[in-house]
Amino acid sequence: MMRASWSLFRREFLAYFLSPIAYVVLTVFLVVTGHLFYLTLELLTARGHRGTEWPMQVMLGDERFWLVFLFIPPLLTMRLLAEERHTGTLEMLMTAPIRDWQIVLSKYLACLAFYGLLWLPTLVYVPILVDLDWQTGKARIDPWPVLTSYIGVLGAGAMFLALGLFVSSLVRSQLVAALVSLVLSLLLIVAGFWRPELDSASFTYQLIHFFSVPLHFSRDFTRGQIDTRNLVLYATATLFFLFLTVRSLESRRWR
Amino acid sequence: MIHVNGLTKYFGDYAAIQDVSFDVPKGTVVGFLGPNGAGKSTTMRILAGYLTATTGSATIDGYDVFWNPLEARRRIGYLPENCPLYPEMRVEEYLYFRAGLKGLSHAQSRTRVGFGLERCWLTDVRRQLIGTLSKGYRQRVGLADALLADPPVLILDEPTAGLDPAQIRETRKLIRELGDQHTILLSTHILPEVEMTCDSVILIHQGRVAHSSTLAAIRQHSQGRSLEDLFVHITGTEV
Repeated sequence: MMRASWSLFRREFLAYFLSPIAYVVLTVFLVVTGHLFYLTLELLTARGHRGTEWPMQVMLGDERFWLVFLFIPPLLTMRLLAEERHTGTLEMLMTAPIRDWQIVLSKYLACLAFYGLLWLPTLVYVPILVDLDWQTGKARIDPWPVLTSYIGVLGAGAMFLALGLFVSSLVRSQLVAALVSLVLSLLLIVAGFWRPELDSASFTYQLIHFFSVPLHFSRDFTRGQIDTRNLVLYATATLFFLFLTVRSLESRRWR
Repeated sequence: MIHVNGLTKYFGDYAAIQDVSFDVPKGTVVGFLGPNGAGKSTTMRILAGYLTATTGSATIDGYDVFWNPLEARRRIGYLPENCPLYPEMRVEEYLYFRAGLKGLSHAQSRTRVGFGLERCWLTDVRRQLIGTLSKGYRQRVGLADALLADPPVLILDEPTAGLDPAQIRETRKLIRELGDQHTILLSTHILPEVEMTCDSVILIHQGRVAHSSTLAAIRQHSQGRSLEDLFVHITGTEV
């Protein structure tokens, strides 16, 4: 049983490297994070009254990052099930001795692994972001914001990828899958850019804060705080969408 | 080996197949005939576990395809119509992937993939991208895939469709040879093919089994009437 899942995971993961989209995503992502890192560095080394208190917040805290991030999960997930349905290979997959949830989980883990790979090169920024002292190996800037930011990025990514996988299971066209999941993720992201004059204790504000992912980052993760409400949202949304994907795949057999 | 009882499948209000029952005994090659849209593919898809029947049941080697899907699927080598494959993979790579998916160990995979490549005349193209292969070669890849786990039952949906005459001949020969070790259910339009490869026929028309008997019996009863006459007589379509 493990063998079948592993085989599928391997194929899905390697399939990313056989399509140009993965390379485009990788490049754009590295260019953007690289630029944000450059801006952060400028602020960290600025003289006078300019500067930043939270280096990670400059990188992950606002529109510059999230408007690019928005496109990544849909591009990674659009192919996963929509293409299989379009070309008919889903029939080969669903008649193999493997359970539907194994298909979904293998595909999900494959895109999550590629997403992890996307973040891997950004680890080279870490020594500078924490101002690592190479002699003693100690960080001269509080390292917790970096750690919590990576935790947040993994959690939020997991949620958006599960959403994308679910949308991909509903449609035949990759383009439609990408657009629909883009619009749905937009709801979770754009709410953070809308900053109405609201009392921060009011219910509306609390609600927006609960759903808007960029706010989770600018207020908590990039400041070294882990708010369990955010992680619970990511985890439950991920499980919920994966559950729906399994059901959606199963329902194909009935129709 | 294959036992089908009262299988019915509705797509919305439309009944693709209705109350289909038949048996395929172990070691026989059965031709599954019928005009386009008669429900051949639907029946085969239910047997292979891709679709679920509205009512009725089907068992493969005693395992119900609905209640015991993994055990049933493990015993089937299925070649779908049009043979969908991943165009970006190489032949050998694809077969290794499918072997893993079917739960074969590394050692088993190596021997079975080698066997499949040789048996289906794929050794020359094993490093080629599937997307660059001709229809005939793709069909062979599908067939090699179906044979990977050495299943007792083969379900082949139009294995010779879209092939050139030489390839059709090769494929027929292969199927006849496979018939010695496997129970085969194969669908086709080509009646002479059935007469050459099959032991018995099941004729399906408008979603129902219209005729079912061994080829020997047909030859005996019809006295010179061919399978084609029978087909036209039952389906009511003049050629």
